Amino acid sequence: MNQLPLTRREFIRGAGGLGFLAFSGFAPSFLTQSALAQSPAPERDRSILVLIQLAGGNDGLNTVVPFADDRYYNLRPTLGIKKGLLNINDQLGLHPACQELYQLFDQGELSVIQNVGYPNPNRSHFRSTEIWETGSDGDTYNHSGWLGRYFDNTCSGKPDEKDPDGVHIGDIIPQTYLSDQPHSIFGMKERGRFDRGDDSSDQAYERLLKSDHNEGSASYLQHTMMNTLVTERRVEKHIANYKPKAEYPGSTLGNSLRRIAALIHANMETRVYFVSQGGYDTHANQIERHAELLGDLSQSMRAFQNDLKAHHKDDQVLTMTFSEFGRRPAENGSSGTDHGTAAPLFVMGSKVNGGILGNAPDLGVGPKEDLAYSTDFRGIYSSILDKWLDADSAKILGEKFDHVPFI
Amino acid sequence: MTTNTPTPDSFPVDEAWKPLPRTHWSEEEAAHFLRRTGFSATPDAVKKVLRGSIQDAIDDSFSAKSEFKKSENILKFEAESQQRRRKIYRETKDPNEKRRLQRELRREDGENFNAFAMQWFDFARQPENSVREKFVLFLEDVFVVERPTVKETPVLFDLQQILRQGIELKYPDLCKQVSREPAMVRYLNLNENTAKKPNENFARELFELFTLGEGNYSEDDIKEAARAFTGYRVKNRHDFYREERQFDKGRKTIFGETGNWDGDDVIDITFKQPAARTYLIREFIKFYVSDTPPHEAFIEALGEQWAAHNFELRYLVDTIFQSRYFFHPAHRGNCVKSPIQFYLGLCQDLNLDIVPFESRLLRSMRAMGQSFYDPPNVRGWLYGQHWINSTTISARRQLVDYIFTPINEKRLNGNEKRALKKANAAGRGNFVVTDERLQQVLGKSPEDLAKHFTTYFITAPLRENYLGILKSLLGDTKQSQSTDRVRDALIALFQSPAYNLC
Repeated sequence: MNQLPLTRREFIRGAGGLGFLAFSGFAPSFLTQSALAQSPAPERDRSILVLIQLAGGNDGLNTVVPFADDRYYNLRPTLGIKKGLLNINDQLGLHPACQELYQLFDQGELSVIQNVGYPNPNRSHFRSTEIWETGSDGDTYNHSGWLGRYFDNTCSGKPDEKDPDGVHIGDIIPQTYLSDQPHSIFGMKERGRFDRGDDSSDQAYERLLKSDHNEGSASYLQHTMMNTLVTERRVEKHIANYKPKAEYPGSTLGNSLRRIAALIHANMETRVYFVSQGGYDTHANQIERHAELLGDLSQSMRAFQNDLKAHHKDDQVLTMTFSEFGRRPAENGSSGTDHGTAAPLFVMGSKVNGGILGNAPDLGVGPKEDLAYSTDFRGIYSSILDKWLDADSAKILGEKFDHVPFI
Repeated sequence: MTTNTPTPDSFPVDEAWKPLPRTHWSEEEAAHFLRRTGFSATPDAVKKVLRGSIQDAIDDSFSAKSEFKKSENILKFEAESQQRRRKIYRETKDPNEKRRLQRELRREDGENFNAFAMQWFDFARQPENSVREKFVLFLEDVFVVERPTVKETPVLFDLQQILRQGIELKYPDLCKQVSREPAMVRYLNLNENTAKKPNENFARELFELFTLGEGNYSEDDIKEAARAFTGYRVKNRHDFYREERQFDKGRKTIFGETGNWDGDDVIDITFKQPAARTYLIREFIKFYVSDTPPHEAFIEALGEQWAAHNFELRYLVDTIFQSRYFFHPAHRGNCVKSPIQFYLGLCQDLNLDIVPFESRLLRSMRAMGQSFYDPPNVRGWLYGQHWINSTTISARRQLVDYIFTPINEKRLNGNEKRALKKANAAGRGNFVVTDERLQQVLGKSPEDLAKHFTTYFITAPLRENYLGILKSLLGDTKQSQSTDRVRDALIALFQSPAYNLC
């Protein structure tokens, strides 16, 4: 088997590569430039953000339970959780399945931000997800994702000799990454190999890819395809060589976070990772399902955090959960809950301040009413952008929002 | 390209939109015309269009050859859904039963939607429909709606049908028709727009995305226009009507003109604005010709002519697709194929039928970044280089691998087995490139074969050493394992940058 090139520079210099640059008399400018340029020293201490989407609308009231408020049990005669709550103060307790998150909270590595939402809430999964991912509110429409605009503001528009700007799990790019300029985005499977090994059609592809291409779109395509090939191989190698130092659950989320840990451990330059855990749309018979989901989330997050710690990467990584909405405070007739509005979210990391932030929701609502949010989710984004990613939140979000002091 | 080739902008303005001289209408031009207006340029198609003029080719390819019909299932769903919904919401008391009936309805609509998508892929794949259907894709990227918001398949079908017929219309008339389409009314919340509580969503997109472009209207224009579009309603989810009581009868001032305007008046006033002459042309050029827009003077010159021709869409089609600007060498082979063009082009180039497994095909389209009727947001797909990133490239490569892999019937699930049987019964069976087909070309020398493949599949001009590498990949076509080598070389060709461009 050939020694597979792991950087584009090796790729170009590999068999036939150098000859191509020297003798073809024509090389797309990016190739000559990147082959000649000094590669910048990798930044080893850069801060990294991992987003975990809880898709479907997580039931906030049963995640962080206001057990001291009778109105909670009145709204939830069958779903209200009484036993096994993990109290984080004299008012609130985490869902019994969140044992691991409770420990992290205890150690000051988990912040709970209460009652997060936005003005004029929308109860469509689709629209509300779009609002969260683009950083708009109920009345305005953004065409790009909040992290896509972060890429636009901080990364060069052209892919160059470096790791992807953003990595996501799965084969669909999250809206969060949509941007005005094209950026290098890499989709990773949560299981199995995803380079294609060394099969013969792959070698043919590689050889043809190295042939001269015209300037313009052809050069852009060639460039991105080479980058993809070397990124696939590099990522595959990082993952194959990785020895996790924590036990992850065998779930999709657990596997995904283990792979993200591998890439972080390998000092990839990528600063943003996105993973989604689905199934939170619990309209009926929610008790067991919700406990399973939160248990998986809790175990996966702690495994990730412990793994990062054991590899001395925890100082660099901030992990945040989000969901398109919480659920209706009053339970419905099928032992489930319908679409609602504000909900709490978690931020995890060795650098977070810990504790409970933001004001609790007012449960004085009727059976068809929803919670009024008290913390705007864009305040959380702006804290992350300004204080964690060293970007300019006002430029990216279009206005200044009050920071939430979790970092 | 040699240095003395003028850039597209070096034409005098009055030359750019003149027709290409008849003497220049030859194979490369014909292939460019076919790949840009449709999805592929097979040698037969090139030969066929060269028998007539460019105008003949436009007339032929833009005329409707067969009807795209609403399926029996969708018609039935449409006819019954009102009654079924009444039953769910008024008559059913048990919440679990209610939920079950709702789920049933949603599932059926989902099945209808997938069937609609498959029907469309089949239809657009037929070369005689491709050019019109690509124009439908263009209009769908202007009049954007998203399936998850609209939900109802019948109204998505109706909107598409309006756009298909729109090719023959004046653009302002098409805008008026679209404003009455239930899918659009629902998507841009026109049905929530009332005199008391105006919803500006439709008015904003009408100006920003359908007619004028950002910066060519004020917030007051939007507010006033929203008032004129009050009372647009949809009955039974499928039928448009105007609710006169909800209509704001007051005077409105839009672009300085004051009167008791309704929605159609707003559209007429909009097309008196200078920006309306150029906005769609810019979108047209971006979609069909080049990522880089030409100098404004070119657009304005064409805009003036278009306005003088009452904004007939066919005028734009006839003018642009014959123009020297369109045929300029700088515009050849420099446009990234959309995922739909990539797939349908492959089917046409390789004479394959649409893969009959809907979940596999729709999933693949989604992974390539162009989910049927589900663009990322109201701006639609951005086209061009935006199609390309590592995620979508992997998906394109997988698709090519797939169509070179024999279908293993043992590994198909029940649905897929049924779908395969049904397709076979309908006379369709060419879903992948088989070894038998590859063996048919083995008689040729590697030189001839490499040349054959590149003229057949790739837009000229191609760099010399691409041909050389392809030749060496093919190797000696008489030796053993030559079928494998030809297959690998073809897979590489279809995955390479050159085939992803047109």
